[in-house]
Amino acid sequence: MRNFKTTALLLTVPASLMAIGLYAAPILQVLALSLTEPKFGLANYQGLFANAAVGRVVMTTVKVSVMTTVLTVLASYIVAFAIIHMSAGWRRISLFLVLVPFWISVLVRAFSWITILRRRGVLNSTLMDMGVISTPLDLVYNLFGVTVGMVHYMMPFAILLLYANLSDIDRRIMQAARSLGARPATIFWRVWLPLSLPGIALATLFVFVFSLGFLVTPALLGAGKTLMIAEYISVQISSTSRWDLATSLSTMLLLVVGVIVFAAMRSPALRAAFVARPQQ
Amino acid sequence: MKPRRIIEVGLPRFLAWCLLGFLFVPILVVIPVALTDRDYLSLPQDGVSMQHFAALADWSKGWLPSMLTSAGIALACAAIATALGVAFAVGAWAAGGWWPSLMRILLLSPMIVPPIIYAVGMVKLWARLSLLDSYTGVVLVHVVLALPLTVLAIGASLSNLDQRLVQAARSLGARPMTVFGKVILPNIVPGVAAGALLAFVASWDEITVTLFITGRAVVTLPRRIWTSIQDAVDPALAAIATVLLVVTVLALVARALIEHRQQMRKS
Repeated sequence: MRNFKTTALLLTVPASLMAIGLYAAPILQVLALSLTEPKFGLANYQGLFANAAVGRVVMTTVKVSVMTTVLTVLASYIVAFAIIHMSAGWRRISLFLVLVPFWISVLVRAFSWITILRRRGVLNSTLMDMGVISTPLDLVYNLFGVTVGMVHYMMPFAILLLYANLSDIDRRIMQAARSLGARPATIFWRVWLPLSLPGIALATLFVFVFSLGFLVTPALLGAGKTLMIAEYISVQISSTSRWDLATSLSTMLLLVVGVIVFAAMRSPALRAAFVARPQQ
Repeated sequence: MKPRRIIEVGLPRFLAWCLLGFLFVPILVVIPVALTDRDYLSLPQDGVSMQHFAALADWSKGWLPSMLTSAGIALACAAIATALGVAFAVGAWAAGGWWPSLMRILLLSPMIVPPIIYAVGMVKLWARLSLLDSYTGVVLVHVVLALPLTVLAIGASLSNLDQRLVQAARSLGARPMTVFGKVILPNIVPGVAAGALLAFVASWDEITVTLFITGRAVVTLPRRIWTSIQDAVDPALAAIATVLLVVTVLALVARALIEHRQQMRKS
């Protein structure tokens, strides 16, 4: 009998070694370097808080992440709510429209937005040909462009999360409310919304955490002008070699993400949505 | 319809379709740009041209080598991640206890921890082990990033499997490896296939960490696209984007057809 369990445990060893040696260890080294590079102590963190450039980057990151999260969750809820009320055929079409952007490379999506939004892009030239505007609008390489790109990136995730959550809600509750004379608006505010709060919380958590540490879209659509934490860290390691800044900022980012996830996990509803169901 | 009903039902539905349009339509813009007859990013001026698709097939332009590099790395990554993922998921499922639970959290954490932090750590580690800009280095990193997906996909398959099947096999005297290979494995094939596919796609698309651990020697397709976007002139970029878009759409349609046929067979 013990033989079986030993074999089972042995099977978990290769992947575990990989996760410890090639994931946990390098990240722990980042934490260690932030305290020792160039010399031991908390000097890097003091430098971080005194650094005005870092302050601006953090402010931009928080601003973009909050805007992205609010817009994404709101828009995704509207879409997910509409999808669960559609007939099977329309639902298939809608889900297809969500799944194509979900699966397509983030680079392709950023590139599409650059093509549309840049000064000589599709949108500006169309508007100028129509005579709506006389000079091109600045739509990309700024806060607006980054936020549009981020919302577009995050929405498919959020829609699929919310769709799964809304599909699980027992529709007989709404029938009961209707038969008792509740109007559609009342049913939405008093029944749908409270029942979908765990899904909304989960989507908010995911989108916010992803936004905080997101590199690709902000880097391509912000092009150094709207600078967020991940891109700032990338500049520190690839061009200026400021390992003190890179490692201490990474550590702070990891701490913030950790605290957010830990705090969210204390809510039983979120934990249920997150953790795999215990095996029988 | 009564005005109130238009506001309560019609307006949200209209908004939802607008938002679905916002998700889907902008991606399509790469198609006309790929067909431009100019050699800079623009809509076709005096007719369409296939020249930028032809450039993709031109070995010296670098797109084809990058596609092959990415395909090779993604295949290696999918094979290793699937093998490790199956072993881990099955072992954890059969053994239970604190060690597999702890390791599961660690294995899944790349899904939450921002990849830029991992990139900082791997640049340091690979520099020390001289694995920067090497195929081995990229494949290993991609395996770590793909493992959460394979473990989740295979775990989903396992959660539908009846533990009594294992007990039955063991009570009939099957040795441990027989139980894993001949009882559990055949029952989780769909999960294993899904895990392998997810690992392939994860590696094929990976950019954030790859960007920092590669240089001139290993140029994956996402890395090639990244550099090209920053130059923002070459319409071949729109052509490759169109190819990726078409492949994605075909894959989704194929999946829908397969699911449809399976449902038909069941009913």
